[in-house]
Amino acid sequence: MIGAVALAQQRSFIACPIVRDTRTVPCYLAEYDGETYFLGIQQDITSDFHPPQLKHEALIEGTVAAGPRICGGIPLQPLSVSVIKEVNLACNTLLPEETGIDAPPAERGPGPSTTPLETAPARHQTFSGPQQFTVLYSFDDDYLEYGAQKVVNEAAAYAKQVKAASVKIAGYRATSLLSNGQQLTEKAGLAEKRAQNIATLLRGLGVSNVTVDWKSEAEPGNAKTDPSRRRVSIAVAP
Amino acid sequence: MRRTLLALGTLALGTLGLALTLSAQYQNVFKVTWLEPGGGEALPEFDAFDSVDGTVGVLNASGSLKTDGHPFFTALGSNGRACVTCHQPSWGMSVSTAALGDRWHETDGKDPVFAAFDGSNCPSLPQEKESSHSLLLKRGLFRIPLAWPPRNADGSAKPVEFTIDVVRDPTGCNTSAQYGLKSPEPTVSVYRRPRITANLKYVLSGATPIVLKTGRLADVDPETGKPVSMNLMTDAREATLSTQAVNAIMGHEQAKNRPTPQQIQRIVDYESQVYVAQQAHIFGGPLAVAGGPSGLGVAALRDHNAGVLGDNDYDPVFGNFKAWHGTDYYQSSVARGADIFMHRQFWLRDAAHINSIGLGNPVKRTCSTCHNSRMTGQDLSAGWVDAGTTNYPTWTEPATWADSSELPVFKITCAKDADPHPYLGRVIYSTDPGRALISGRCSDIGSIVMQQLRGLAARAPYFANGSAKTLREVVDFYDRRFDIKLSDAEKEDLVNFLGAL
Repeated sequence: MIGAVALAQQRSFIACPIVRDTRTVPCYLAEYDGETYFLGIQQDITSDFHPPQLKHEALIEGTVAAGPRICGGIPLQPLSVSVIKEVNLACNTLLPEETGIDAPPAERGPGPSTTPLETAPARHQTFSGPQQFTVLYSFDDDYLEYGAQKVVNEAAAYAKQVKAASVKIAGYRATSLLSNGQQLTEKAGLAEKRAQNIATLLRGLGVSNVTVDWKSEAEPGNAKTDPSRRRVSIAVAP
Repeated sequence: MRRTLLALGTLALGTLGLALTLSAQYQNVFKVTWLEPGGGEALPEFDAFDSVDGTVGVLNASGSLKTDGHPFFTALGSNGRACVTCHQPSWGMSVSTAALGDRWHETDGKDPVFAAFDGSNCPSLPQEKESSHSLLLKRGLFRIPLAWPPRNADGSAKPVEFTIDVVRDPTGCNTSAQYGLKSPEPTVSVYRRPRITANLKYVLSGATPIVLKTGRLADVDPETGKPVSMNLMTDAREATLSTQAVNAIMGHEQAKNRPTPQQIQRIVDYESQVYVAQQAHIFGGPLAVAGGPSGLGVAALRDHNAGVLGDNDYDPVFGNFKAWHGTDYYQSSVARGADIFMHRQFWLRDAAHINSIGLGNPVKRTCSTCHNSRMTGQDLSAGWVDAGTTNYPTWTEPATWADSSELPVFKITCAKDADPHPYLGRVIYSTDPGRALISGRCSDIGSIVMQQLRGLAARAPYFANGSAKTLREVVDFYDRRFDIKLSDAEKEDLVNFLGAL
């Protein structure tokens, strides 16, 4: 019963995004089943939230969060937004600024930044044991966004620091269970492509003893952990 | 030789303990402006040359230079060209169409710059005819023949995600049985402006092991194995100044033998110490003055650190222009232009490798979002972007290209299993596929590495395809492309600002 309630709060759907201008940065929204959902606001490339794109549908996978509407939409948190690769010219809604609809405070406004980017402290400096790193992907995609690149850099730094005897890479592809019951499976071959790309990066970054594996079959979706299973794991053993 | 009106200002070179005062006056002099290979001129530490509405400064930071026997100024190949042929100090280490036109008439088209190989629309054309060199004379474009498919370092063919069909070929080169796509050595000919060989410490900075925009490994310096900035060439095909020099000598100069390591080192050493910037305005006077904007003039370029992000309020791309607000007409206009560049918000949309890398489409930002590298306005990360200059429908060519474009038009069809171009899909018409001709990727079609924004007034025309005859046309393109809605007065301010760089 608790699981069913939790599932009822899940939203997994494909829709054209909507961009809402505000006095500050734009909000990104999406509509599903007669309701509007708030996805996030414009931020910098280093932000965890990467907005969707007009001219493309997006796969939205999130959980209805408590609290008031933001920019006119129900907030979803946690949230995964995947841009569907094929161009869809119908996705072209840009709403003007409207009195009473404001974006939440942004770390960076639409103009030049006002504070230097903070450099995150290096991780794992005090560890020396086995470590696992996980690179996450958007649906049907092998592109590494900024955060994923950071994970690869951290894994490489750690592997070199501990002079890893073994760096095992495992690639996966996944299925997303949509709220309408449809199963959406990532394309065949993607698990291998993801894994090989990460291996190429790690070797290029000077990491040795890299082995590559992948799981060709995609597991069925469950509408809860689907985004976290679009991944490559990097197991570093000293 | 030509009569040159020089508007010289005072150049303070205090940071390195040098104090060089130039004659602060307008003067009529006969001055050698077009340097011929082997001319043997001595180059001073600082020189200034006519540019639109003022002078461009050229600083040899290592001091005066004897060009006699120097490999940058000496023809090393078979066609009489040297590096300097297309990278002339007088035109900001590039070359303008005005200069090329003069050169054609002065030499009756015999100057090596018009070499058949790439100084004409196609080597197969009758070289004595001016029309055979129309792209160079009208747009300042040299032919860049690129092997198709592209090659790996070991000579093997790279995998490619698309096919290329030539749908319009006004130069005849892409359909030529000898030089074209279906020739024994399949080649794509695109036509591009020469980039300036100056301020290069900035161009070579910002390298990261993984390219932010692609999530893939950056190219590496073949000598050191270290990642490179990939911002050197229009399509990022050359890793370093050394590889560029070697291939330029073997290609543009048509050398039969590779240059020696010593020759390459001298070229690299020279290029690494040259700085170019607008130095004075005909009404505004010297631009680099105490208390004024800190980023103007060649000494500022010499003295600033490279690899600094300038898309911010605390260390803006070209410095702070507040001191010029409310002064004279010209300075106030430049300062307003700087404000527009840094702060005027607009919807930046449908630009591959900007909107498609996680920023979202559209984003409400400013010019400095993309032109973010301190002092040059390139992108600090590997900077190929499809701003829309070469791909239909936003390209710079007339809408009725089938009747009037001077450039080739390619139809590019992406494979079904490839990622499409993020905003144009799988069938794209392009006058220059840009980075995609090197990477083989659909997502790179039309992506061009940003150019630095220095010394602009000396080296028209603009854009990699030479389509903008004036800075006003550059501003008009962006105003149209991103629907910025600039007023005429704002456009004038932006033009004055860009011209002051």
